Amino acid sequence: MPDVDILVVGAGPAGAVAAWHAKLAAPELDVVLLERDRAVGAPVRCAEGVGDAGLREFVNPDGAAWVSRRITDVIFQAPDDTEIVLANSGLGWILDRTRFDACLAAEAAAAGAAVLVGAEATGMGRNGDDRWHVRVKERGREDVYRARVVIGADGVETMVGRWAGLDTRVPSRDMESCAQYVLQGIEFNPNAIYLQFSNAIAPGGYAWIFPKAVGVANVGLGIVSLRADGRNARQYLDDWIGRRFPAGARTGYTVGGVIVHTTIKKTYADGVLVAGDAAHMLNPLSGGGINNAMKAGRLAGCTAAAAVREHDTSESRLASYHKAWMDLLGEDHLKYYRLKQALEHMDDAFLNALARTVNKIPSDKRTLGRVLMKAIVKHPQLIPVVAGFFV
Amino acid sequence: MRRVTPDTIAVVDLAVCDRCGLCLPLCPPEAIHLELNTLTVDDATCTGCEKCIAPCPVGALAMVAYA
Repeated sequence: MPDVDILVVGAGPAGAVAAWHAKLAAPELDVVLLERDRAVGAPVRCAEGVGDAGLREFVNPDGAAWVSRRITDVIFQAPDDTEIVLANSGLGWILDRTRFDACLAAEAAAAGAAVLVGAEATGMGRNGDDRWHVRVKERGREDVYRARVVIGADGVETMVGRWAGLDTRVPSRDMESCAQYVLQGIEFNPNAIYLQFSNAIAPGGYAWIFPKAVGVANVGLGIVSLRADGRNARQYLDDWIGRRFPAGARTGYTVGGVIVHTTIKKTYADGVLVAGDAAHMLNPLSGGGINNAMKAGRLAGCTAAAAVREHDTSESRLASYHKAWMDLLGEDHLKYYRLKQALEHMDDAFLNALARTVNKIPSDKRTLGRVLMKAIVKHPQLIPVVAGFFV
Repeated sequence: MRRVTPDTIAVVDLAVCDRCGLCLPLCPPEAIHLELNTLTVDDATCTGCEKCIAPCPVGALAMVAYA
């Protein structure tokens, strides 16, 4: 029965950074990072896009082997394919998540954490000794790890949150059902990400093209099933790709859920912290979660390390994690969520008209401020949307 | 609160299921589990609410009569 100070469940960006930063904060602690799958980073369930600034807080993307593509432009597409090009709209990257997640796990290992792959937590409980007893299945045998703090970084389906008695459920209106292919041999601007908004193509969400190389991209979409016409996400994607890229070779495929909600009400319990997708720590407008997960993981790792050092891993001690997260990004996500709710009511005819309005602004003068001003003057129905964002 | 026995409950077709885990947080009574790469619906806990059915990206969940 191994005794550890901090047991991290899930070696995605949240978990790997949590283990890494827990060791940086307190090198003397025993930190173990568990990955259920046989390889860290696989299977990829992600569009792999990430902003530059957030990423650089953790790792340097320049020349890194885990980068697929450097992105400089964003192209919004209206339902009728009208394009709004935001050139030089801020640097971003398309990652190779298989390599990227492995890089983060390697950082955790270099800092002294033990990384176990093919090791799945299957349940946990208290046993009157101030530690969590976590059952871990690895290569057919079961061990029980006794941990002072368990960090649940186990994704959308989080079981750690459940076992700790936290409410990690999500209403169906806030669940994006996503499907994505890796398409090869297609034509697009390889320096831009494309986002298409249309109720006919991707109701309640959007469709995306994220370049991985010239002629190769992650092409996918997310839908809210309550707003769909009976087709599932994969069927919507097949229909869209069939029209748009009929000749593209489908060399990869993934599906998954993106929770476009806000941070769960309570991300901590006695001896437990939950981070990343597991705690719904995504930007609900974009669905972006990688940088959010790493920032949450860093907070979780540092909080857990400090708590263990102080010999106080109680719920009240760990509550500081929740507050720190809400101050850092959680409160912003509440604003993005309100904006998302307001935008849900825009129909395709309106989106087409909005795109034409924006395109009348010369591209070199197309700042966010000018776009907003022009859009509000021409389309007063946007006023409550914009107002809601600043409340 | 006593659980009312539903007429239909959710079942998963494991040949179609991609193990993405999307349905787990959608289940109000937390009747769906993902363990050792297998999704299961606990038919003693499922209330037949159907909230997991439409969101499945590949259509792996369906309702069947509760025996």
